[in-house]
Amino acid sequence: MGHRPVFICHPGFSGVFTEYGFGEYQLGDDTSAPATDWNDFIERHQDAFRQSPFDQLQSYVGPTWDAIVDTAIRVEEPLRQLVARLKPDVIVLDNVVMFPAIANAGVPWVRVVSCAETEIPDPLMPPYLSGCSETPGEEWERFSARYREVTASAHRRFSAFLGQSGLRPPPTSVFLEPSPYLNLLLAPKIIRRKRRNVLDEELFVFLDGCVRHEAPYVSPRFASHNEAPLALISFGSLGAMDVAMIKRMIETFSKLPYRFLINAGHWRDDYRDVPDNVFIDDWFPQPSVVEQASLFIHHGGNNSFCEALYFGTPSIIMPYCWDGHDNARRAEETGVGLHLDRYGWSENELASAITSLMDDAAMRARLKDNAISMQKAAGVKRAAEAILKVATTMPSTGLSVKA
Amino acid sequence: MTPEPKRTNFRHVELAQKILDVAGERGMAPGERLAEQALASLCNVSRTPIRKALQILAERELVTADAEGGYLLAVDPAAIARLEDTAEGDGESEIYAAILRDLAAGRIAESQTVAALQRRYEVSRQTVQNAFVKLAEENLAERGSGQQWLLKHFAISGDAAAKSYEFRLATEPLALTLPEFKRDIPAMTALRQSMLILRGMNETNFDRKLFDRTDYDFHLLIARSCGNPFMAETLTNHHRRRRASPPAGHVNAFRLMQSNLEHIQILEQIERGQMELAADLMRVHIQLSQSQRPRLAGRGVPPAFKLVVR
Repeated sequence: MGHRPVFICHPGFSGVFTEYGFGEYQLGDDTSAPATDWNDFIERHQDAFRQSPFDQLQSYVGPTWDAIVDTAIRVEEPLRQLVARLKPDVIVLDNVVMFPAIANAGVPWVRVVSCAETEIPDPLMPPYLSGCSETPGEEWERFSARYREVTASAHRRFSAFLGQSGLRPPPTSVFLEPSPYLNLLLAPKIIRRKRRNVLDEELFVFLDGCVRHEAPYVSPRFASHNEAPLALISFGSLGAMDVAMIKRMIETFSKLPYRFLINAGHWRDDYRDVPDNVFIDDWFPQPSVVEQASLFIHHGGNNSFCEALYFGTPSIIMPYCWDGHDNARRAEETGVGLHLDRYGWSENELASAITSLMDDAAMRARLKDNAISMQKAAGVKRAAEAILKVATTMPSTGLSVKA
Repeated sequence: MTPEPKRTNFRHVELAQKILDVAGERGMAPGERLAEQALASLCNVSRTPIRKALQILAERELVTADAEGGYLLAVDPAAIARLEDTAEGDGESEIYAAILRDLAAGRIAESQTVAALQRRYEVSRQTVQNAFVKLAEENLAERGSGQQWLLKHFAISGDAAAKSYEFRLATEPLALTLPEFKRDIPAMTALRQSMLILRGMNETNFDRKLFDRTDYDFHLLIARSCGNPFMAETLTNHHRRRRASPPAGHVNAFRLMQSNLEHIQILEQIERGQMELAADLMRVHIQLSQSQRPRLAGRGVPPAFKLVVR
């Protein structure tokens, strides 16, 4: 399309974009900082992941916002220098926090709302990360009040930081306001929520999914059930740390007449005595696998959820943090999948959840129809066109940056 | 699983592949006659196995029977992928592949007996034994004490790819700079033709199987040409084992296209006799091939998070 996209990323994402042929710039990691104690990290968070969304506010959400604000402050100077060097025409911000270097870059910036639609609040919508139902109730206010409390110190530091950079502080509990130029949302129609304050269609573009294209995936040969329907299990690279829970799931899988692909991330070699109808790997080209799968069991990450909808695959969502809770609830409310508690399930409950979705012809048909319209909407192209439209309103140097 | 081994065995498939390699190196074009006697002496075997191998090629429509007897080449040998030798119903190859798949997938343990695998796959004793022999030839199994066979899990574990790159980084550039390195010009020319065909492809039509063949042939050629029999043997065994193992991870077409260009560059420097430069390019090539995909990334994961701590 005539522009050159380059990516600025955290070193933790190094290599993701170059593998697809894009330029990639990392924001320097502070190597002098002590390495985090791995065992402690797992222990701390595995406990937090067992809690309700409300209890996680204290144990996970608050500390995570603290960490995000720390990162934003730490990368400000290198980011400012890098943006000055790259001289982009437009900056696409796919993050949950504002970086003053972007707001002050002197070029338009586009916000990608990378989480569930609840990230852009509305009086008719349950609070972000709450996993609450769409029916307003006391729990909405209770959650919001607690959210304000646990994010207060991070928000104070963040507001002061923005103030030092000449920006006005954001409203309470908000770390990233909508872009005055363009905001892109993934949420497809089938799961979209009602709003009292209707979003300006020029400023808020719903993409109806935005799924990357991967090379076709050739399913491995299993030791049995090679003709059976396929299920993909992926909880993201972080969720894969839950080895004991996944091993429990595998016991159930071994008794079901389906094939199961499991993304075990870094822990692939922790699995022994794998059943004949199960295949474990450390990475899958997810969109291509979801396309072939009859069922996708995931953590409710927004990309996973959108990929399932884009290919018409029913979801069982077993969330453990962040907007996974919102997506799990929304999947049930809109009849595109099931919400299963991540830990509190019996073998029978997991087996019947899987079987019921495998056998639900009506849901499958509805999802397939929806998939056709999502694919027609061509979200990737639409996003690129919308971004370029913003870019061309400014003098062009032929570069766009995604941060 | 069918317990009956078919007549076609992997040695005939290997020979069929060799015939295609010879045809490629001699620059043969579609329509040219494949003379049994000449092939027999080039491949150093008698005419009977050559006939068997030609039949396999005919079944796969890579050669056609000539009205006057014998066979004609039906394809450009530079443009086709390596022959698959794990055809359905081919007892020992099928079991060989199943053992490797199950070992890589964590379904079977490293220590095995013929009897145990006979029960698992419901095949004859001989079939399992032949599969073990083939695995041993590829350095993927060795005899243990008593009835035991030890499968080499390290060669196909999750870390195998990273360890393999580490090993190759230490050895392949060195192989290129050994004093008695001998260039095999016909093989290099044939290989270059295949690489140029790949260079003409794009991300959507990229032929992964043809790439796999050129990748294997290219690295094997360097091993064979290095002029030191110990190094040649070590590298050859390593590449053979690499090829025999189930693929580790998923590499997208963009990277494979880059990798093909790197192969061409290295080949050009070998042709020019610039062996130090070829070795430097090889170092770069191997390092670029190591996947840099992050193994853990997520919100709340601290920046100084080090997986090695585990």
